[in-house]
Amino acid sequence: MEASEQARFEAAVLPHLDAAYTLARYLTRNAHDAEDVVQDACLRALKYFDGFRGEGETSARAWLLAIVRNTAYSRQGRRRVDALATEFDETQHSDAVADEHPEGVLLQEDAKETLGRALDRLAPEFREVIVLRELEGLSYKEISEVAGVPVGTVMSRLSRARTRLQEALRKEEGG
Amino acid sequence: MTHPGFEAQLDAYLDGELAAADARALEAHLIQCRECARFRDGRLELRAAISARVPAFQAPDVLRQRVRAALTTAARTRAPSRLSLRATWRPLALAASLAVVALGSWNLALQRAAGEALADDVLASHVRSLMPGHLTDVLSSDQHTVKPWFNGRLDYSPPVYDFAGRGYPLLGGRLDYVDGRTVAALTYGRRQHLINVFLWPATRGPRTAPRSRDRQGYHLLHWTTPDYTYWVVSDLGLAELRDFTLLVQGADSAAATAPTR
Repeated sequence: MEASEQARFEAAVLPHLDAAYTLARYLTRNAHDAEDVVQDACLRALKYFDGFRGEGETSARAWLLAIVRNTAYSRQGRRRVDALATEFDETQHSDAVADEHPEGVLLQEDAKETLGRALDRLAPEFREVIVLRELEGLSYKEISEVAGVPVGTVMSRLSRARTRLQEALRKEEGG
Repeated sequence: MTHPGFEAQLDAYLDGELAAADARALEAHLIQCRECARFRDGRLELRAAISARVPAFQAPDVLRQRVRAALTTAARTRAPSRLSLRATWRPLALAASLAVVALGSWNLALQRAAGEALADDVLASHVRSLMPGHLTDVLSSDQHTVKPWFNGRLDYSPPVYDFAGRGYPLLGGRLDYVDGRTVAALTYGRRQHLINVFLWPATRGPRTAPRSRDRQGYHLLHWTTPDYTYWVVSDLGLAELRDFTLLVQGADSAAATAPTR
């Protein structure tokens, strides 16, 4: 790779490192894994950089976040398959919005569930739309590109995830 | 409860994603409908709570340095392989072929060059499939769902097997484009790794045994049967990829000898 090409890559990608790290943090729910995911994703991004140049419509930010997402999921292979299965037929997986780890016992011990914890406990395909929209400020179109699902699916996932978080918020305030 | 269908619309409205005409209709409705207005207020509360209490993170400086260092190293080591993949490849290959002609092995060199170009093509398809949303067109671990899906989409009916029992579950299939034609691509899983199998009808020549290539950290295995040309790509270890290949070959020869197929 020529020096100028590398500079071009760094100029496109490094400004979005915070965004990449934030998404990785929420997908892995762990600072250490998040760092590994981001580093891995940047190396992958370097490999695919030629492919990115062709798609002028996609923002560099959304493009990098798509790679971060994919890297995080492929590190957690089994969950990736789960996420794909949900895309396949959401109506058959209507429980998918429910907790990924239904730790009812834990909840009863600690009734003060925080909003952050409620987010962490959402299934990844719902958690990611919240993070991409609320924290990264992506448009529906960009989220659909990052998550690889139609805009309609983005809308319904966002809606369901928000309703779920609101319930947590209400419980928090009530308890 | 709010009116069915309104929740997602309201969210789109609050996110500034609703078309102007729909937004106006929604605003008019919100004035009249107390329940929907309450729903909106709840959403606004949630939004405030998220922005106050769910943090966006800053990448640690250590990570920034790690990434920069890794990129520099990767860019340096990648330089030769990129050259061979880019436009400079063709003249180089031509020069190489001409050099070999002088030695009298013209055909062999041409075949090899064609094989390498095809390997590049297959690898590019594999990498593309790893991008979100590109992996499968038909997502099913059931071979009896995947196989019929190809009917009418291809001018051949590719054999589809599931090796879930052997630790290589079928994940789905899709159409891909390799070597100037539409081909069947089947995806299998192995722990966190993905395996892509590309196959299309064999045109000519004898059957060949699997031959491996390494590119950019991926392994490619290529072989031909009397019926099909196979390419298998993965970042899985070569030994396991060979095991997988044996399963495919075994299933193929079993199918060839079965009277019903």
